[in-house]
Amino acid sequence: MRRSLEEIRTIANRAAHMTRADSAEAVVISSISALTRFAGNRIHQNVTETDSQLSIRAVLGTRTGVASTNRLDNEAITRCAAAAVDAARHAPKDPDFPGLPKPAPLSIPSRSLSLLSMYDAEGRARAAAQIIQQSDARGLVAAGTVSVNDYAVAVANTHDVDASMQTDELRATVLAMGEGGASGWGSLLGRDAGTFLPAQLGSSAATLAERSAGAGDLEPGTYTVVLAPEAVADILDFLGYLGFGAKAFAEGSSFLVNALGTRVADTCVSIYDDALSPATIGISFDYEGQPRRRTPLIEGGVAIGPVTDSYFAAKLDRPDTGHALPAPNPYGPLPLNIEMQAGDATLDEMIGSVERGVYVTRFHYVNVEDPMKVVLTGMTRDGTFLIENGRLSTPVRNLRFTQSVLSALSDVRAIGSKRQLCGGEGGAALAPALLIGHWAFTGQTG
Amino acid sequence: MKDLVATALNAARAAGATYADARVVESRHQRLSVRTGRVDGVESGESLGIGIRAIVDGAWGFAATSDLSTDGITAAAREAVALARAAATTSRRPVALAPVNAYTDTWTGPCETDPFTVSLDDKLALLLLADDVLRTETAVRVTSTSMNFLGVRKVFGSTEGSLIEQSYVESQAGLTAFAIGDGEMLSRSYPNNLGGQAVQGGWEAILALDLPGHAPRVAEEATALLSAAPCPARETTLIIDASQVALQVHESIGHPTELDRILGDEAAFAGTSWVGIPDLGMLRYGSEQVTVTSDATIPGSIGSFGYDDEGVPAQRDHLITNGVLTGFQTSRESALAIDRTSNGCMRADGWQRQPLIRMTTVSLEPGEWALDDLIADTDDGFYFETNNSWSIDDRRLNFQFGCEIGWEIKNGELGRMVKNPNYTGITPEFWGSCDAICNRDHWQVWGIPNCGKGEPMQVAHVAHGAAPARFRNVRVGVAR
Repeated sequence: MRRSLEEIRTIANRAAHMTRADSAEAVVISSISALTRFAGNRIHQNVTETDSQLSIRAVLGTRTGVASTNRLDNEAITRCAAAAVDAARHAPKDPDFPGLPKPAPLSIPSRSLSLLSMYDAEGRARAAAQIIQQSDARGLVAAGTVSVNDYAVAVANTHDVDASMQTDELRATVLAMGEGGASGWGSLLGRDAGTFLPAQLGSSAATLAERSAGAGDLEPGTYTVVLAPEAVADILDFLGYLGFGAKAFAEGSSFLVNALGTRVADTCVSIYDDALSPATIGISFDYEGQPRRRTPLIEGGVAIGPVTDSYFAAKLDRPDTGHALPAPNPYGPLPLNIEMQAGDATLDEMIGSVERGVYVTRFHYVNVEDPMKVVLTGMTRDGTFLIENGRLSTPVRNLRFTQSVLSALSDVRAIGSKRQLCGGEGGAALAPALLIGHWAFTGQTG
Repeated sequence: MKDLVATALNAARAAGATYADARVVESRHQRLSVRTGRVDGVESGESLGIGIRAIVDGAWGFAATSDLSTDGITAAAREAVALARAAATTSRRPVALAPVNAYTDTWTGPCETDPFTVSLDDKLALLLLADDVLRTETAVRVTSTSMNFLGVRKVFGSTEGSLIEQSYVESQAGLTAFAIGDGEMLSRSYPNNLGGQAVQGGWEAILALDLPGHAPRVAEEATALLSAAPCPARETTLIIDASQVALQVHESIGHPTELDRILGDEAAFAGTSWVGIPDLGMLRYGSEQVTVTSDATIPGSIGSFGYDDEGVPAQRDHLITNGVLTGFQTSRESALAIDRTSNGCMRADGWQRQPLIRMTTVSLEPGEWALDDLIADTDDGFYFETNNSWSIDDRRLNFQFGCEIGWEIKNGELGRMVKNPNYTGITPEFWGSCDAICNRDHWQVWGIPNCGKGEPMQVAHVAHGAAPARFRNVRVGVAR
């Protein structure tokens, strides 16, 4: 059993007030993560993890230090508090440190947590078996996961911040594979168990795999592309990480420095960070206990601004948008709940409007080539098709792209009307499909 | 800790496990970072818990908890058994394990000066000094210096009778200068990017890096990159430095020779492999120059240990011998697929996670060249140093790497500097084009403490021995 919400709230408040620092902040996270993993049409890993973590940030004047422990007995908490104070004592003064934030009104949704009991070991095994069956029946091999994360977060500080919330989330993925390079993908992320239909998820991946068998060559070059939501989510993740964090902005390493208030994308492109959206997952306050605010990043194609925490809000004289990560971290505040505004096109309409182009189901191993121009490289996988005369014609082997995200977003021809919540690096992106005029494929796996 | 392991094994057995193992892991860490003259983070932490793995009805279950009371451990053991029973409902064939002897042993990694006993003042002073030096170049607008320390003590026990206690300390440090101008940011790092070099060892390893002594060159090169020409797009001869060879080995040899990937167990996340089991002993992976080993016995490497997390002794094995695929990295379960015993590559990211096949120290064995001679032997090409971007497909065939800095080679000499150098290729073609590797004087083990794999994600500390190497007909300057 993980610790209750009230229990971790009590621990956070006690820990924050027990240091001998000028002020202090404590964050407690308690979680149970259960994951059933399958491959080769059988479950090969079935794991659970139960843990709690306390982190204390101690402040002496403008000096700060952080210590953490997963042992929540009194002795360990006392030791953790002393270590945080010791770290602060040795840290040099930081004249930019504004002090720990004060309480702000929070909107804490009350959530009934049923996913862990609904998808216990047997429930996850049943779901996995239903997914597997769809591939097995068609002579394909399935791999993927069914997982539940049930967790609670409490943040308290000596300025009376006292925020706590519990939530859960369900994730399922499936990769169906077959002869001739057949490969199809499906995924689900969310809190609504009613949307998780394992057989349907397994079936759609298997159908995509069957359709992708016998992939052929395609000469690398610049093509019109239709990117499915998972592929879009990948590039939104990198755009947020590279461009819209206040630390990169303050350091001058974000494209935003030279683009604030200017057009950086097509006028149809609006991108927000919104942890409060009912369609997303996560908690409604950040790791300083401040409300996570819906924050425009790009609106009508115009770059609006970075997300902040209390430190960078003060340093940049901007509002605190509530995007603090656990202190300390090398990234500063980041947008982890990005959503792109939906358009009005169906996927069929987007594909139907393309004379010759490429359809991408998702990307693999995307990385940064040029951070300030947001140039990324990566591979396609699990369903890449040539589009000819408005329809998916033939599957093509996986392609490598090397492409500026900003250039691509300035060349958006249509945006999908349906969005999908996709898991990313530490967050989730709500992404539609995109029709992009020019996308540079720079290589292909032979 | 041994009592906790015994409690777990007894509970798993009583619940019906036909095999079980348990690991109690106690770790502590300290992370210090300085960024552009400001101490960016001073953080320490500790973690303690137990992970219990059980086989029931021919399937695996794994449960981990930080509740180390008898009740907590017993509940976790029962949970592992229940998870195995649930997994067995989809079983195709019962899990079988290659044999291993039962060991009762202790192992300790090298460490002269425990870094946790060195004062924070001394550590921060060293970082701040290096940071000061980096910022003497005005174009260097952002700087980063950091140190990370990790201390681990763990006890492994199994129902087959092993009881193994191991402890080690890791130390890591490095610095990076970011020159920013005219809409671009160019970085230069020492001794490697992403936090620098990581070793098993103590404070002595940090001092040996001499961060302040290398800071002037790093800052100068970062500044010079701003006015350097872009790397031209062409097919040419490429020499890459040892640290980049290490990452090239990691991505295009290390991962594809992990037998769990080959068997499809990682397909949905990390991917599979372009290599198959029938390729063993048959496949030409690279040129005659290319011999690659997997070695968990190299002193000071973060890929070293006494026993892996299945209780298998550390070993040295050949993965590629004179260009031919001759081995895989294995576990007790997967080794049976190739009729071998495990070569000891199973490791977990802490007590919370089930062991996976992870690289140990996977190394390109040294050749015979001195670097100066190799450059002198190259009429036309490029020399690239220090990775700053990596990407490879899900079968580990199609890769693209970016480096921090490059120089043209003309008539056997380094010429003008180029910025944003990158190169791309296909794994067997690239390794097949390797015609020269530098000698042991240039060979070094590079620690890579950020290797992600598995679901839930696990981050492994692995390493690669490498020396500069030369490759022919490589496509450089992609999309430049």
